[in-house]
Amino acid sequence: MISNSTRRTWWAGAAAAIALVAAACGGGSTSSSPGSFKGTIRIGYSGALTGQSQLYGHAISQSIKLAADDINSKGGINSYKVETDVLDDGTTVDKAAANTRQLILQDNVKALIGSVNSAQCQAESPIAKQNKVITLDATCNSYQLTTEPDLINPYWVSVVPNTYMEGTAAGQLAAKTGAKKIFVVSPKYLFGVSETNAFVASLKKAAPSATIVNAPETWYVPYPTNPRWDSTINAIQAAHPDLVYSNIFAADQVNFITQALQVDPEFFKKFPMTTLSSVDELNTLKSKYPLGMHLYMRAPFFALTNSRMTDFVNRYRAKYSEYPSDWAVMDYDAMQVYAQAANAAKSFDSDKVRDQIVGHSFSSLRGYSFKIRKEDQQANVGETIGTTADSGGKYPFPTLSGSTNLRGDDLIMPTELVSELKAGKCEKNNDPTTTDFALCPSWKKG
Amino acid sequence: MSPGQLLLFAVGGLATAAYLFIVTAGLSLVFGALRIINMAHGSLYMIAAFVTVVVANRLGASFGFWTGLLLAVMLTGVIGAVIEILVLRRIYKEEHLVQLLGTYALSLVAAGAVRLFFGASYRTVRPPDIVSGSLNIGGFRYSGYAVFMIASAVLIAIGVYLLLYRTALGRNIRAAVSDPELLNVSGVNVSRLYTTVFVIGAGLAALGGAIVAPSQAVGASMDTDVLVLAFAISVIGGLGSIVGTAVGALIVGEVISFGLNNQYTNQFAIAFVFIIMAAVLTVRPWGLFGRPEQEL
Repeated sequence: MISNSTRRTWWAGAAAAIALVAAACGGGSTSSSPGSFKGTIRIGYSGALTGQSQLYGHAISQSIKLAADDINSKGGINSYKVETDVLDDGTTVDKAAANTRQLILQDNVKALIGSVNSAQCQAESPIAKQNKVITLDATCNSYQLTTEPDLINPYWVSVVPNTYMEGTAAGQLAAKTGAKKIFVVSPKYLFGVSETNAFVASLKKAAPSATIVNAPETWYVPYPTNPRWDSTINAIQAAHPDLVYSNIFAADQVNFITQALQVDPEFFKKFPMTTLSSVDELNTLKSKYPLGMHLYMRAPFFALTNSRMTDFVNRYRAKYSEYPSDWAVMDYDAMQVYAQAANAAKSFDSDKVRDQIVGHSFSSLRGYSFKIRKEDQQANVGETIGTTADSGGKYPFPTLSGSTNLRGDDLIMPTELVSELKAGKCEKNNDPTTTDFALCPSWKKG
Repeated sequence: MSPGQLLLFAVGGLATAAYLFIVTAGLSLVFGALRIINMAHGSLYMIAAFVTVVVANRLGASFGFWTGLLLAVMLTGVIGAVIEILVLRRIYKEEHLVQLLGTYALSLVAAGAVRLFFGASYRTVRPPDIVSGSLNIGGFRYSGYAVFMIASAVLIAIGVYLLLYRTALGRNIRAAVSDPELLNVSGVNVSRLYTTVFVIGAGLAALGGAIVAPSQAVGASMDTDVLVLAFAISVIGGLGSIVGTAVGALIVGEVISFGLNNQYTNQFAIAFVFIIMAAVLTVRPWGLFGRPEQEL
């Protein structure tokens, strides 16, 4: 016969065993002791898992999950376990806005990671602002998101080089080639217009004698576009420029390059190109990506070598069997920024967390620390430029030769310009849709 | 604009038209015969593109492309037969909205399956050597593969026309459009005929996917990328009319090509396509070459 005390001991032992097994199983990918978490918080991401920018959304969703695992392995945020809440927006604006509402109002996320394209972020920002939810933006990058009076959101933080910084870098890069006749092709929406304006303004300063050979009305192609690029390819042939400047990206860039090479295998030798690119486009086209292209890239892992990056690349590859794209690198950093700031604030209150972000420095996978300045809550992150060259078998895609990591401080928008933009001094007839830094009094003077 | 540039942009428009026609032909054929708007048409096109890319990359562009094309047509034909037998037969007599929702659901299933099997990355493949060169006319270069696509579109148009108007199967298909009950009474197995038509439609979608694959990034969203313009073409030309589909594709291709290259029309190039569509819908709702749907 079993006594009461023996029975109690047996039940206690069984309960402990069950608790241990549950703890071991329930931890998922978290390597710390999950039982010590006070609970779970969510960080939301409306991502382009399908549609024109699915390559980017795919990489970002993987990267933020890896970041969440890493954060959890160090005790989470304020002792809460971090979960990512990823919703597909199909690279559309309406769905991104609807997802943002769902993430905030139904899923109760504590913070958001910004979507892929600027039109989506333009729609998301007012929703996040209204609900006081911090958004760490590491992909969409129009400078208007942090400077245009109608869009300014005190809870929006940009840790990606914005279009002013990129356009400036691209203008300097194009000027270095010595090209005199330049053809422009860009997607027709906030990002394309913003970055192209910055490029043209920078080019005018760096190479005053260079001219744009196509009329401004033809710079832009519909976005997302028809997958055939015959029209643009033929226009380039007809215009015969020294250089093509583009900021088309993802599927559009892959289709454009593929079809241009079918028209003429020497197309990009005849018409060299300066373009925005990322590891995703290089890895998609692999050896078909033309050599000798002048690229500007946000965070290519192969050009930003340091021990943290090497560790990240190895773990990312081990987990996903892929090379991390620029987006993966930047969004991993964005997650870490939030974790570090919320831990420092000892709170999830957006105002308190923001106070720990703005004006503070954060270490980055990119091998340097960046600081988020208060004027426009923009990080002084850099841009990498270089020319595509064979990687010598190191990677299944070309990398950059002669790459230079431009310093964020050398590219970031002067604070005087930021003030003028924010004050609405850079618009035509007080129309906020015309906001353009090239209209700012200080830019005109300089 | 010089004559050389005029030719350049006209051929560019033809290449776009060819691509759009190849994709839309099957959609139009299926609607003409079965009176069903197949929202899953783009899915069949996408599956075929993936099959072609995978096979071609494994076996080498030249041999692999043709093998991939053949396999894609066969596989997609089988999938088409399964869809027709298991799903469409149950909704032929339902209103168009139910048919739309039914085929849309199939497209979502297909999109999920493609992501599961092939992942999120884009895939690319080189064109077969025989059509990978380029031509130089008047100082401008033309893609050999675009010329191949134009030739393929012409052949497909002729093939479908001959099928419909020069074969017993075509006679039955046209009879089924006019009066399926009468055709049934006359001893023709209409169910089997419908399956055959849908399989041919699926095969055309597959041809489209396989032929387009070497010219663009093959990804899990290419089904929806093309569907909007494909429906615009069908509406302009007339759903169910192969001639109308060809003319619709030609109009859309040239409007885009010339429209985008002119500084005064660039902003509205794509809008023109839909303005034309709206105008056709207003003046002739059954399209330029279509026929009004009969009241039953």
